[in-house]
Amino acid sequence: MSSLLRVMTARRVWAVVVLAALAVAGCAERRADEVRLVFRHSRMPGERDPLPALLREFERRHPGIVVAHEPLPWTADVQHQFYVINLEGRSAGFDVLMLDVIWTAEFARAGWLLDVTDRWPAAERREHFPSMVEAATLGDRLWAVPWVMNVGLLYFRADLLGRQGFAPPTSYASLAEQAAAVMHAAGEPRLAGFLWQGKQYEGLVVNVLEAMWGEGTDLVGRDGRLLPEPARAAAALAHRRALLTHGISPPLVTAADEELTRREFGAGRGVFLRNWPYARALFEAGGSPVAGRVGVAALPGGGALGGAHLAIHAGTRHPEAAWALVRHLASPAAQRAIADAVGLHPTRPALVDDAALRAIFAGARPRPVTPWYQTLSATLQPELSAAILGLKPAGQALADAERRLAYFLRP
Amino acid sequence: MLAVVTVYPIVRVIALSLERRVPIFGIADFVGLANYAFLARDGAFWGAIRVTALFTVASVAAELVLGVAAAVALRAQRRGVAISLSLLLLPWCLPGVVTGRIFEWIYHPSAGLMNRLVAVVASAQPNWLGDPRLALPAVIAADVWRTTPFIALLVYARLVGVPAAVYEAAAVDGAGRGATFWRITLPLLRPVLLVALLFRTLDAVRAFDLMFILTGGGPAGVTETLTLYAYHSLFQTLQLGFGSASAVVVGALVVALAWGHLAATGERDAV
Repeated sequence: MSSLLRVMTARRVWAVVVLAALAVAGCAERRADEVRLVFRHSRMPGERDPLPALLREFERRHPGIVVAHEPLPWTADVQHQFYVINLEGRSAGFDVLMLDVIWTAEFARAGWLLDVTDRWPAAERREHFPSMVEAATLGDRLWAVPWVMNVGLLYFRADLLGRQGFAPPTSYASLAEQAAAVMHAAGEPRLAGFLWQGKQYEGLVVNVLEAMWGEGTDLVGRDGRLLPEPARAAAALAHRRALLTHGISPPLVTAADEELTRREFGAGRGVFLRNWPYARALFEAGGSPVAGRVGVAALPGGGALGGAHLAIHAGTRHPEAAWALVRHLASPAAQRAIADAVGLHPTRPALVDDAALRAIFAGARPRPVTPWYQTLSATLQPELSAAILGLKPAGQALADAERRLAYFLRP
Repeated sequence: MLAVVTVYPIVRVIALSLERRVPIFGIADFVGLANYAFLARDGAFWGAIRVTALFTVASVAAELVLGVAAAVALRAQRRGVAISLSLLLLPWCLPGVVTGRIFEWIYHPSAGLMNRLVAVVASAQPNWLGDPRLALPAVIAADVWRTTPFIALLVYARLVGVPAAVYEAAAVDGAGRGATFWRITLPLLRPVLLVALLFRTLDAVRAFDLMFILTGGGPAGVTETLTLYAYHSLFQTLQLGFGSASAVVVGALVVALAWGHLAATGERDAV
């Protein structure tokens, strides 16, 4: 018994010695001049994450730089909160960050991002869709590089429209007319005319913005003024309410997000749908009831820009290495790899093979590029919701939001 | 120690509430009571107070009634009490986020359980989370489902402690079931119900997670409670001063409620 114990103890000593030796060897291998970068990003959708391979390739090309990548929390709101808390604390713990296009101006104004204007050659900027670059610009300086792109699309049932001889609509008024005609001809009570996102969240602001663009006006004017044409903005919002009262959009729209409407349309219960490009592959997947019957067009007035930028934390100790990483990840080859693996779209027209989709992407419009976008959106959300539910007239809802914003944004 | 962990944050948040402060943009101006003045004029803030009051009264009342009913039924049960107790406790053990996701599916307008049940009896397909008349009741129902077990457990523990002789004596005196419940059981439960009432009221006033997941405060702000209002001001609009002012109001309200409750019950229980 005691000899067995002694053997075990001896083994344990050996184990400690071996582990210690390995640890020393490990430390020795790590060179003193090695640069360690941390990249924060949201998880890639689907199973085939292309990032590890892209990062290993970067390390091969840049000996002496090691990149650790750490995923962000799942939802956009929590990601934003994570960034605000960590970046405001000045001990961010990361060098390169992926950020939603609507946060770039805010983070730039907060002083969290490294100005990349002088590093980024003008000729390379012109490779990207202009809306992606516009969303990365604040005060004539550039703060981030376009990485992946999203744009609001109009999906339609090509078979149902074709039966009526309709071409995809170019105004929301004709969209409503076409939807009503198709619904009437189909005689199917569960077929919705137009599905969109009306839940009280960021998606509602996106949909109403697109409605305003369709009406030829905007939420924030070129001079930075809020609601430059209040009457037209109210008309656009009132039209959303009318879609519901006329039965062209079903009541479920008032609590609907992207997935809910995508499932309804995907089950064959919609004539038109406003959604992001991700839905396309799902509609054409095997077993989809609408496979081969879905068309895609530009939204009247243009679709809202979504997607992500890559930026460098202003407090990084390795700006050169971080810039090299940003360029690598946003390179045409990397964007192509990401598109092939998980279907996130490139930000360069040259990489979008489908000509029709390329034209739609080129017409994308950024949401208001302002450091105060979060405040703007959060304040608008309940008011827009009240307007589409008919609890308030559209004009009053916008005026109420404007009054609250005047307090929050006062100089 | 107590001063560091409670007094300092309270003083700090009150000081912050007197500023216009957006820390990420380096904005920090003293504005006196302007934030409170704006709150007093803000329709959304009064809406949040109304929602919080409705939510608190309705959910706590339903939870107390159902909790007592469940406990009494459990006490009368002869076999399988352990299994019933475990099943009963399940909803209470789930994290709020999980409960929220479950109810998101239950209320799904076309694929949800609720509308499948409704479809059996009617052709209407209510839009539980999108209709301003239904959204708050739907959230309250989810909260009742989750929290009734808490009350039931407290009440059940008290019922187990009541000697059988008390009920035997009542039966000998000719008391029926109803009379036994109203005259014997309920008075015995009074202390435990008052504690449960206090806990649940304070919890309900601070309600956050279910509406955050299910509705985000919508539609049209009809499920926006005071804590959600404070959250939107603090973390979405990043108005730290203004958000602090609303947090101070919530805090004061909770303290006032607890104080009122203790003052009202403490005296009578001392008799």
